[in-house]
Amino acid sequence: MEELFVHRPAEATASGNGPLHGMKVALQPNCSVAGWPADAGSDALADFKALEDATIAGRLRQAGAVLCGTTRMSEFGFGLHGSRAGEAVRQGAADAELVLDLMGESRLAALRASVFGFKPSYGRLSRLGIIGLIPSMECAGLVTADLEVIAKILDAVAGADEMDFSMPAEPAADPEDGPIDPSRLTIGVIAEALQGLDDDAQAGFRQTLAAIRETGATLLDLSFPEFSLFPLAHQVVGAVEASSCAGRYDSVRYGRRAPGAKNWNEMYLRSRGAAFGPLVKSYLFQGAYFQFERYGAFEAACRIRSRLVARMDRLAAQVDVLALPAVDLAGSGNAASLGDTYARFGATLFANVTGQPALVLPPCPGTGGAGLQLTAARGGDGRLLALGRHLFNGRGGKA
Amino acid sequence: MDFEAVIGLEIHVELNCATKMFCDCPNRPGDAPNTHICPTCLWFPGAVPRLSRQALEKAALLCLGLEAELQPVSAFDQKVYYYPDLPKGYQLSQAHLPLSRGGGIEIPGEDGQTRRLRIHHIHMEEDVAKLVHEMEGRLPISLVDFNRAGAPLVEIVTEPDFRTACEAMEFLKALRTRVRYVGASECSMENGTMRVDANISVRPAGSDRMNTKVEVKNMNSIRHVGDAIAHEIARQSAAVQAGEAVILHTRLWDPDKKATVPMRAKFEGPCVPDPVVPVIALSAEWIADLRGRLPEMPAVRAERFMACYELNGEEAAFLSAEPEVAGYFEALITEGVAPRMAMHWLSTQLMPAVRERETALDACPVTPARLGGLLKMLARDEINAKAAREVLGLLFDEDGSPEAIVRRRGFGQVSDTAALEQLIDTVLAAQPAAVADFRSGQGKAMGFLIGQAMQASGGKANPKVIREMLAKKLAADSIESP
Ligand SMILES: [Zn+2]
Repeated sequence: MEELFVHRPAEATASGNGPLHGMKVALQPNCSVAGWPADAGSDALADFKALEDATIAGRLRQAGAVLCGTTRMSEFGFGLHGSRAGEAVRQGAADAELVLDLMGESRLAALRASVFGFKPSYGRLSRLGIIGLIPSMECAGLVTADLEVIAKILDAVAGADEMDFSMPAEPAADPEDGPIDPSRLTIGVIAEALQGLDDDAQAGFRQTLAAIRETGATLLDLSFPEFSLFPLAHQVVGAVEASSCAGRYDSVRYGRRAPGAKNWNEMYLRSRGAAFGPLVKSYLFQGAYFQFERYGAFEAACRIRSRLVARMDRLAAQVDVLALPAVDLAGSGNAASLGDTYARFGATLFANVTGQPALVLPPCPGTGGAGLQLTAARGGDGRLLALGRHLFNGRGGKA
Repeated sequence: MDFEAVIGLEIHVELNCATKMFCDCPNRPGDAPNTHICPTCLWFPGAVPRLSRQALEKAALLCLGLEAELQPVSAFDQKVYYYPDLPKGYQLSQAHLPLSRGGGIEIPGEDGQTRRLRIHHIHMEEDVAKLVHEMEGRLPISLVDFNRAGAPLVEIVTEPDFRTACEAMEFLKALRTRVRYVGASECSMENGTMRVDANISVRPAGSDRMNTKVEVKNMNSIRHVGDAIAHEIARQSAAVQAGEAVILHTRLWDPDKKATVPMRAKFEGPCVPDPVVPVIALSAEWIADLRGRLPEMPAVRAERFMACYELNGEEAAFLSAEPEVAGYFEALITEGVAPRMAMHWLSTQLMPAVRERETALDACPVTPARLGGLLKMLARDEINAKAAREVLGLLFDEDGSPEAIVRRRGFGQVSDTAALEQLIDTVLAAQPAAVADFRSGQGKAMGFLIGQAMQASGGKANPKVIREMLAKKLAADSIESP
């Protein structure tokens, strides 16, 4: 069997003796660690070695975590095709994995491994040294078998970074992690989020909701008529961002420069043509199409995105937490086409569009593979994790 | 048919910030190649751009200096094109939400009327790398120098308000003055800190149609901009007259041929909002604070000079054109030099001397205090003008106050009548013919006698005193003699 880690340091390094002392954290090759290969799963970056630590990698080390290596990832973390995210935790080779989450990859990888997956709020973690494809949507997600580990890691690595101006200088106020009174807990359920689930998954998710009601919490039915527009907003905005931002992965200064070109224009075209795999390439083509031929549609998608964010904010403000199903909607095929890839992440990509935090709890047996996905307003990561812990324990701590 | 040109300018100004626009590398593009680079300005994977506060401030000051309106919200876009001078595939620029809109400069029109040439908008952008083409034996190679990559620029885009090459040149001179005033850039076309592209079209005089334009680049002085525009107007007019269609393209000015030649177009794609650099929100307080730091601008200063120092328009415009000159002039006034004398000596003596020595006014050893000291001695008749000019030359090379130099070198002027009495008697005794000429009414003999007396004094006598004494003596003698 293929070795789980594509890169393992000669000696696992931890420089600090802090709160994460001895914790083993696996990374993907898109998170820069000085001297480690950082190809982000793409030939366009073949043999590129990071020059300096990503802020979050440096903070993990300082807190005492052991960076134990990188695992195979899909090209730029886009989708899960070819990715082994979640396996290191499932096999016990790591206590936690950092998995780039562009559409829900960290959460579905967790579901696949029957563990916890968490995507922090956008802006909670520094982007410095993180190689990705869709800057306004992606974020390092966490996969772990222990809910406490998520909170500990978040404590150690989150927060302002003077090297990343896109982060708020002051972290958004995170509601107090105070005691939780089950009888006063209101959990919102977005009816439209259940559309597209098969009957088993729908029944399974309703069963999970029934179990939550038994803990004394109140369920509130909410309506989000435009919920079905999330994939469209994600795809149009994401593809355009990817197409423009991937320009820097030129496969000329690093990666594999294509041989035999007559001049530099030809060399650039050939190298870029050879660098990207079919899935990313079709995504970049799509982005270029909107950028060059349908700019108005891109602007419309940006407006739709703003509307979706505003609506989600209003719904989140009405409740303590929102509950949505967490389902891997992979079809029977190999899920390597753009359409299949988007279909697969139909239940998770909303949080990448809005930037809100999302926590996936593994499904209970007999719930048709539908896990519970909890989400809150952007910035409410701490409270969300506390509520997740409460609800998980409420069902007897069963996976 | 009479033709009229429609001209708009796009002016890139490189800001004189200490660092590049999105990283901490020094902003010194001219240093040894690739010495000021980092993962951010090389655009390595994982790098995050951080907009420099100084670049934003200098750019905003420049906007205020051009009477433009700073926008409360502006943002960076990715301007997509592929070329080895931009290996990340896009340039960070402000396409949809520029830093400022509006603004303009008033220039003296050819008819004597003032004409306002409007600015459409001003935006910030990063410079790209520099390509160096060389031969390695017989193999042509291209090298990329990233020192300039990420250098802070602003682009000033005008309205198509210009009709003549002359207007474009006047506008550029006035723009340069203002940008220098706010301290945002040296703004020199010769050293590349100001780069100008001109968009030119022609139409029948009196028409308000906008015809297909041609872009002209590669001028490296304001004079070349004028020459290139004049050439392009003539070329297009002739083409239209001959029934040829003008097509949209870019031409390069060739200063040797004194002609524009077509160039191959660089592919340019669309602009999409950059998702990483935060949106720039300028508060009213921030803008007010910046406005408070705006120096007195040249037109206002010239008016004040005319009112306070009784200078004419031309003199005031000359003195206020460069902030260093204006500052020096006012420093001389503060030293107690009369405005007219300060103006005269600054323009006819000091500035030519500074140019000749290839230095700068604010770097030369003749400080306002030293020149002021010299001019005050001149005003008090302690030295004469000839000696003052000589001492000025010495001030460039010698330390010490002008008073000390005058003393050491014996330039002091003799105005003491007792000391000059004998000298004048000697001259009169030696020049009986000139004395006789004067007495017979030939006034110019006086000039000759003054010259003789000055020579006898070794140039140190005060010519005013000599003239008075000679006049008195000759008048007295002429009464006695008949
Ligand atoms: Zn740099």
